[in-house]
Amino acid sequence: MTRARANAEPNARLLLGALAAAAALAFVLSLAIGPVGLGRDLPGDAAALIFREIRLPRAVLGALVGASLGLSGAALQGYLRNPLAEPSLVGVSGGAALGAVLTIHLGLSAAVALTLPLGALVGAALAMLAVVALAGNHGGPVTLILAGLAVSSIATALVSLALNVSQNPFATVEMVFWLMGSLADRSLPQVWLAAPFMLAGIGLLLLLGRALDALTLGEDAARSLGIDIGRTRTMVVAGTALSVGAATAVTGIIGFVGLIVPHALRPFTGHRPGLLLPASMLGGAIMLLLADVALRLVQPWVDLRIGVLTALLGAPFFVWLVLKTRSELAG
Amino acid sequence: MLRRSLAIIGLLAAAAFWITPGRAADAPRRIVSLDLCTDQLLVELVPRERIAAVTHLAADPTVSAIPEKARGILVTHGGAEDVLRLDPDLILAGPFGVRGTVDLLQRLGRRVVIVPQPQELAGVRAAVQTVAEAVGEPAKGAALIADFDRRLAALGRRGDGPQPTAVIYQIGGSVSGPGSLADAALAAGGFRNAATGYRLTRGGQVPLELLLASPPDLLVLSSAPGEYRTVLADNLRHPAIAILRREHASIELPWRHWLCGTPHIVDAVEKLAAARAGIEARAR
Repeated sequence: MTRARANAEPNARLLLGALAAAAALAFVLSLAIGPVGLGRDLPGDAAALIFREIRLPRAVLGALVGASLGLSGAALQGYLRNPLAEPSLVGVSGGAALGAVLTIHLGLSAAVALTLPLGALVGAALAMLAVVALAGNHGGPVTLILAGLAVSSIATALVSLALNVSQNPFATVEMVFWLMGSLADRSLPQVWLAAPFMLAGIGLLLLLGRALDALTLGEDAARSLGIDIGRTRTMVVAGTALSVGAATAVTGIIGFVGLIVPHALRPFTGHRPGLLLPASMLGGAIMLLLADVALRLVQPWVDLRIGVLTALLGAPFFVWLVLKTRSELAG
Repeated sequence: MLRRSLAIIGLLAAAAFWITPGRAADAPRRIVSLDLCTDQLLVELVPRERIAAVTHLAADPTVSAIPEKARGILVTHGGAEDVLRLDPDLILAGPFGVRGTVDLLQRLGRRVVIVPQPQELAGVRAAVQTVAEAVGEPAKGAALIADFDRRLAALGRRGDGPQPTAVIYQIGGSVSGPGSLADAALAAGGFRNAATGYRLTRGGQVPLELLLASPPDLLVLSSAPGEYRTVLADNLRHPAIAILRREHASIELPWRHWLCGTPHIVDAVEKLAAARAGIEARAR
């Protein structure tokens, strides 16, 4: 243990540096790749326009949304000490989608600026509190998954209900948007709308490193190390609600990023939740940006949405996790 | 003006109807329509006391060309039970979406007429004729078709220059492709559909950046950017669309004009022809 930690310290900088470099590369790829080749002859200032108004918001949102999802996944797993915690699985994304849909269809988002992300993060916070209340910290993976299933089922059912009741002629297509998120044709105003909240949430969650490290020893030990458990919980709930809520408000539900990324990176972080936080933030950004690039590369053949792609990647991972847990239980 | 002439034609047709007795006796008098497009034809061909119900969309001004004429008519939600409750002697349906209901109603011995969805302007005449004959109003149908043809013929000659391009850009980035009624309206208005020039990567959806890279001569929006406050319509509010509209010709051509193959498609064609005249005047 001590030897692992001694090794982990110098590795931390190396790991985060490598992840940051990869994230920067993925960001550039996302700017460079799209249906239109920016190198070829384009009329007037079309190339500049495409770059500024379409590629840039898409890449910025890809990075920020990915970072939000990866980081909140790591924070939830660390705080709940449960490997299956993830924003979309525990209903936080569903709650955010419900909040966003309600503000849109009650006409609030058109009337008052910022109500869309605010509605989404209130929804996310309520869902989060409901899951914590249902599952608690001692429930184990099954309780958490059941609580998450309950909360997210209610949230998505209410999203569908709100869309149906609104007599929206596009209700079914819009349901697909909210349940299978998308980064396509997002705009700079949407970035300005969501980015401040996502950044605030990311900032809050990154402050949790010491508390989550201490929590691995149990709540009593953490308390004796001077960690305020109540304050930690408030920060996890607020940080997740801010980042995932605002992300969902502009992209819909993108699942599994918060599950896959922390698991993939945990072996490299010496199983320290504190180091896993920034690593998962960068890893989430990398994963979502690359998934979005892949989407645009294969797009000529299939009608694929990014939420579908992350689910395709995530579901087998989930199966692997189940098998691993089973073999651990057997062993 | 148009409406008045239509009304006069309608009155004449009604008079002709009264003079020829015998038809009235067996003409259906409790007609139910299960499709937005048959709703509109029905309402224009038959006095409302003979209409038992239409769909809720008929009175929706965003998709129906005749919302005020349909207002107040009983609405059916299209379930077989709901339809049977009205004891209809004729049921009009479109080719899509209500297959199960139609099968059930036919098995129960109800008369169902399925009106094909026109994909070109000639099909509009056929659709009017089908409904007019089914409801026992062939004279009114002929009058509608005559008016339709007169307006199409009055569009005037287009210039000899190369055909400008246009694209009908809709909520969610969808565009109307070749073989659709909207495509036929574009052609009749004197435009070449630019949708064929884009690699349609996601079904009928065009990524916004393709639109920016090769903009059409005329950008046609299927709804005003502020009309639908849903996330799906965010693409119409995208700053890039606003920039395109500043630099290129652009019109809004609401769905109600071209969603259905009714004679109202000519409204769309007239708007497009006017836009084409504008583009040609500027080019000169």
